[in-house]
Amino acid sequence: MLRIKGSRRAAATIGLGLSVALAMTACSGGGSDSEGAQDGTIEVWAHAGQAAESEALQALVKEFNSSQEDVTANLTLIPEADYTSTIQATSADELPEVMEMDAPTMAAFAYDRKLIPLDDVLASETLENRIQGVTESGTYKDQTYAVGMFDVGLGLWGNKALLEKAGIKDIPTTAEEAWTVEEFEENLAKLAKASPSGKAVDLGEANGFASEWGTFTTTPDIWSAGGTLLKDGKAEGVINSDENVDALTTWASWKEFADPNTSGSNFPEGKTALTWTGNWMYPTFSEALGEDLVLMPLPDFGNGTKAGHGSWQWGATPAAEGNEDAAGAFIDFLMTDDSITTMVEANAAVPGSTSALEQSELYGEGGPLEMFANNLESACSSDDVTAECIAVARPVTPGYPTVTSSFGSALQAIWGGADVKEELDGAARAIDSDFSDNNGYEDE
Amino acid sequence: MATPAVLLLIAFVAVPFLAAIGFSLYNVRLGDPRDPNFMGVEQYARIFTDPNISAQFLSALLHNLIFAAIVVPVQTALALGLALLVKKTIPGVGIFRSLYFLPVVFPIALVAIIWRLILARGDQGLLNSALAFFSGGAFGAQDWLGSETTALASVIVLSIWQGCGFQMVILLAALQQVPSELYEAAELDRAGPWQRFIHVTIPGIRTTLVFVALYTMILSLRVFDQIYVLAKSGGGLNEGATRTVMYEAVTAAFDQNNIGRASAISVVFFVIVVILSLIQRRATRNQEG
Repeated sequence: MLRIKGSRRAAATIGLGLSVALAMTACSGGGSDSEGAQDGTIEVWAHAGQAAESEALQALVKEFNSSQEDVTANLTLIPEADYTSTIQATSADELPEVMEMDAPTMAAFAYDRKLIPLDDVLASETLENRIQGVTESGTYKDQTYAVGMFDVGLGLWGNKALLEKAGIKDIPTTAEEAWTVEEFEENLAKLAKASPSGKAVDLGEANGFASEWGTFTTTPDIWSAGGTLLKDGKAEGVINSDENVDALTTWASWKEFADPNTSGSNFPEGKTALTWTGNWMYPTFSEALGEDLVLMPLPDFGNGTKAGHGSWQWGATPAAEGNEDAAGAFIDFLMTDDSITTMVEANAAVPGSTSALEQSELYGEGGPLEMFANNLESACSSDDVTAECIAVARPVTPGYPTVTSSFGSALQAIWGGADVKEELDGAARAIDSDFSDNNGYEDE
Repeated sequence: MATPAVLLLIAFVAVPFLAAIGFSLYNVRLGDPRDPNFMGVEQYARIFTDPNISAQFLSALLHNLIFAAIVVPVQTALALGLALLVKKTIPGVGIFRSLYFLPVVFPIALVAIIWRLILARGDQGLLNSALAFFSGGAFGAQDWLGSETTALASVIVLSIWQGCGFQMVILLAALQQVPSELYEAAELDRAGPWQRFIHVTIPGIRTTLVFVALYTMILSLRVFDQIYVLAKSGGGLNEGATRTVMYEAVTAAFDQNNIGRASAISVVFFVIVVILSLIQRRATRNQEG
């Protein structure tokens, strides 16, 4: 029955021929993209994030293209999980004119000469109108390499009905009122009983702690405990400090209360009382839970509550050289208050311009997400975390890919039950050896 | 005559391999336009002596060998069993053949996502809830992918589930080539079903069995996709207990941008694979002779 008959062989040959032909047309289609610069067409790469966010971006690109006749932007969306490695593996001359990047990867791309300074490319109004957090995460070696339409906040979201069912009345709404770790743990035990899933909190396990999410979501714990990732480009004694070991031991001990949430919807469906995630989930949560949704600061490990910040931002590549006006016009368009408002309506992020932030219903005074905007007002860098600052940026260094990859692997192992100190010692050695191989990533 | 083959071998095997040897001597960083520094055999020294890198590499190699040592015999035996089952000419056997073959059609990345739901930790995982149901709650929820003891075993099970159908089809084709006269003759000699299996079936399909075992061995050595998917996209797979050599090379190159070390790992692995293939070749040749 498995003998190949003559006609089948012929069919197979035709099939093979067709697929080769298709592959060749696909290649030639791809090849013509890069010649856009002359005819006023610019290529734009962005990550495919939340559906609403991608739709908003597609609408904005369409609006930009119909608003004027000189420049046509051609948008390509790339899946979020592979986005950074795609840019990393693409050589500078094959990149699009304009691309999006996650905030902590900016320094590495600037170091690799995949970004050009924007100070003369963008309108000065665009640059001056940025909020502090966006300015900081776009600056490397005193030059602007990226601008963000928005910034983000990380918080603890609660289901008020389940909190009340568990008898928890003290629900913090500002950073000063944040639960201490002890209070948080007491509440986890109560909430596990009150939640239909039997678990108290979704810590974002389903996003993978070995990925960038792990670094983003757990660094507030170590900052709040008085630790950090890097100091002056050194990891030894910093990433494996006693503060970090204690903080991550505590974090891993929450596993018995943590919901693996494989369905991805336990919190909005009211099955789990708490979730530890960012502002981008607000539209989903508020639609599902309505008045029951509460936003709380992350627990305080002793050095004040902390939160991560820095999000997707836009930059121009060397491909845009000679065509800076077109790239600049597109990014300037994205940074107008109207565009920013369209975007943040879709992803509920903190508007990246001062004027758009003032008008925002979500983040303005008395708005439901005001806490995130307040957190960003007292932002600081990862090298120098004070008790007063709340939003902390991940380290701005070209060596960040190794930092996050080593730290993420350690987190995954710690979550699986490995020895915290040993894992962090290993991460410290891996990071320091990578920095010394690359002369400390000194960028002349 | 051989020129095209030789050209292709040079282009796709020799050149990349020589390039890898070259890269492994330099500190090549992915995407960095600067000229790389010469490091000599430093990358190789680290693979064998650095406390972190060497521990990771050796454990990766061990996982590959454990994977191969279990998957090759179990998957081949299972595939043979299935092939014998679906060889029978009963009505509807085509449906069974298709069903057993179905997992092969799915890319291993998709299989990993499906099994991630089956093996999810906590009471909501399919396997955990099934076990709790049948044991009346006596069997507590396990963290199949996250626990050090079960992580590699879980990957092995899902890999066998995915790969088995392909070997089944190859063995089925071989079984159908065994002349039915031999079975009739054996029956006349009053050979029982077990004797017929040992003395007619096995010798009849021996070359195919050797091929299947070799092929599975090669697949086992380059196992990567399912581990990457389960570890990196939220499966919670215990990376330390399941990392393989390919996983080490890919994460070094694309997560840490360290092409130099990734190349060194590949070169060392190439040498190991060549040695293993030579041993296997000698073993099978002795058998044939």
